[in-house]
Amino acid sequence: MEQYQEQLNGLFQALADPTRRAVLGRLSRGPASISELAEPFEMALPSFMKHIRSLEESGWIQTRKDGRIRTCSIETQAFAAADAWLSAQRAIWEARTDRLEQFVVARTKKEKRR
Amino acid sequence: MTPVLNTELDLAISRIIKAPRAAVWAAWADPRSFEQWWIPAPLTCKVMEMDLQPGGAFVTRMSENGQNFTPHLNACFLDIETERRIIFSNALTGGWRPAKQYYPTALTAIITFKDHPQGTDYAAHVMHKDAGDRGTHHEMGFADGWDTVIDQLAQQVESQQ
Repeated sequence: MEQYQEQLNGLFQALADPTRRAVLGRLSRGPASISELAEPFEMALPSFMKHIRSLEESGWIQTRKDGRIRTCSIETQAFAAADAWLSAQRAIWEARTDRLEQFVVARTKKEKRR
Repeated sequence: MTPVLNTELDLAISRIIKAPRAAVWAAWADPRSFEQWWIPAPLTCKVMEMDLQPGGAFVTRMSENGQNFTPHLNACFLDIETERRIIFSNALTGGWRPAKQYYPTALTAIITFKDHPQGTDYAAHVMHKDAGDRGTHHEMGFADGWDTVIDQLAQQVESQQ
């Protein structure tokens, strides 16, 4: 149990950074090479590699080297540990309801002004 | 009938939206409006069919670049009460035909619209068959959900620090 707690703490700590969150967001759509992942960021490669290592050490991702290309992919077990499937569904529907609310409220205001 | 909430497989969301019930309904029932909020930017949604009557088809597609659209939802409306209730399920497709496959799992959604002193009491009750297959989930472009989960987790972490 203690070990599980430690693992969770590591996972959460790794998330407390916007670059690492963006990398996970990209990887949730499928594996990618380091250079693909680094492209959107204005950051020297060594700094970017620190983020990759942090994600790998905390258990969010795994990396594999094929010749000169290192490919990263998401560690699905980490997602399972950090959150349950139903919570993901809830997040989708909560966000959807947020967008509906914003859409309707914005449109209603616009119509009142006319 | 009133559905029973199974806390293992269902989720219930409700929200007071400060707008008239007719306006909230219109955001759902008008395909061009629906496309604006159903999935998060930068993904775009296209409503292929939205036949608002029992047995009517409800088909949407989604795209990451606005050009190549892939299947998103292929469902069937089970019940429609204008400005009050929408029920749809992806276990069936248009014309009540049993679906060959459903992603990420079979679901039935009951959307209700009620008057509220501040506007509209909007609720979604979503029932799932089981905890869908995660691999399929990713393939079908449900990454938006994961992004949201990540952001939520992150906020939780940051608020604890």
